[in-house]
Amino acid sequence: MGIFDTIRAVLGTSAEADATRDADPEDLFGMSTAYVTMEADLGYESVDAAALCFSGVDSTDFSETVADVEAILGAGEEETGTTFDVREDSHGWEWVVLRDDDPEDLVTSIHFAADEFGERGYGSRLLAAVFGFEADGDRAYWIYSFRRGAYYPFAPRRGKERANDVEFKLQSVLDGELDVEDDESYWYPMWPDTAGGHPWE
Amino acid sequence: MKWKPDWGLRGRMVLTMFLLFALYLVFVGVLFRTNSVVFLPLMGAFVLVQFLFSDRLALYSMGAKEVSAEEYPELHATVSRLSQQADLPKPTVAVADSRVPNAFAAGRSQKSATVCVTTELLRTLDRDELEGVLAHELAHVKNRDVMVMTIASFLSTVAFMIVRMGFWFGGGGRNRQGGGIIVAIVASLVVWIVSFLLIRALSRYREFAADRGGALITGQPSALASALLTIDGRMDRVPKEDLREQAEMNAFFILPAKGNAITKLFSTHPSTEKRVEKLRDLEREMETR
Repeated sequence: MGIFDTIRAVLGTSAEADATRDADPEDLFGMSTAYVTMEADLGYESVDAAALCFSGVDSTDFSETVADVEAILGAGEEETGTTFDVREDSHGWEWVVLRDDDPEDLVTSIHFAADEFGERGYGSRLLAAVFGFEADGDRAYWIYSFRRGAYYPFAPRRGKERANDVEFKLQSVLDGELDVEDDESYWYPMWPDTAGGHPWE
Repeated sequence: MKWKPDWGLRGRMVLTMFLLFALYLVFVGVLFRTNSVVFLPLMGAFVLVQFLFSDRLALYSMGAKEVSAEEYPELHATVSRLSQQADLPKPTVAVADSRVPNAFAAGRSQKSATVCVTTELLRTLDRDELEGVLAHELAHVKNRDVMVMTIASFLSTVAFMIVRMGFWFGGGGRNRQGGGIIVAIVASLVVWIVSFLLIRALSRYREFAADRGGALITGQPSALASALLTIDGRMDRVPKEDLREQAEMNAFFILPAKGNAITKLFSTHPSTEKRVEKLRDLEREMETR
């Protein structure tokens, strides 16, 4: 780390400040084709679940927003069969977890939820959208960071290890199709609370 | 995916060799003009010795020793299989006791090649990554790289020696050849610098070519890329801390130092980023056919 990096860091003009670009819920639609590519080119199938991670606000308005999101998803459930539940994890973050064997419906529902938060002025409370995949018992996730407005891969293994080679492979195959975060120092893990669970479990 | 010659790389290699050759002709011309041609056979002998013993020299300088299949069964098995895949005779396998993760190939020909890895490399890489690195080294052997480099180095070695000896002999400054010697020294200096830069460039192309060749041998560009990132320590840049923890606070990030044009000019290996990028392109090519 050179002297200029130190100065930049001290002045707070480090990478944290220069997010790639603003997050856009429309980015989430990129996952529809990514599901196809993941299966066709890499043999990774959907785990039939995806989730949206956000941090709550202690206000009536925010509670109402969450209730509205639930209402929208509840209405969608009758049409698409996408089931959902809202839960809190051990980090104190909240999740909207969606389950459906049709990836298309998962993406649509995640987008609906994210869009509603944004419309109500809570876009900044959104942290990540997480899409799960599986191949031969190995898990891999595409995480969309609302802070960075970009996707990155996450391949957890037993004992809080990460399969970097798998992550790299996902990046190289999906880059272009998804807006992939090219700075690995932002590929933050999202470890599950329960061993062998998904990040939202 | 079948082996396709990489004409871009080849063209650049040929061009570099051609420039070196042209430089060489000019150099010999200058030496004749200044009656310093006596140096040539001397240097030739020196380089020939270097050429004949280069592999042993390289192994010796690394403190590497040949290992048997009993000592390192897995390493031997992997090398055998990859050699078969690359259609090469199995090279000698050597291991160097070192705390730096590294590997190299040495040898004059495909028949007398040695592939050497360090103990640290074996320790840090997983099986797929090690395979990627070994395939990269075998690709060097297959491309007959070492020979090309030795020939290319000949000239710069000669020039370097003349500069050194010239200062030595010309130090008196009382002989009538003084002027000629100085011209020869200056010419040698220029030749040495130019050939040094050309060899650096050639050396970088070799690495790209070997990356590509190695990836085609294993069929897994990502394994080598992952190994490169591991060796480079960039894997360490993938954060350990949970996104949710990180989002709570403003973390500082250490940005990788960006090399400038000068460092690019003088480095023998292309930057890891560049190599990884090319491997990514290759991976995509393979996956989407």
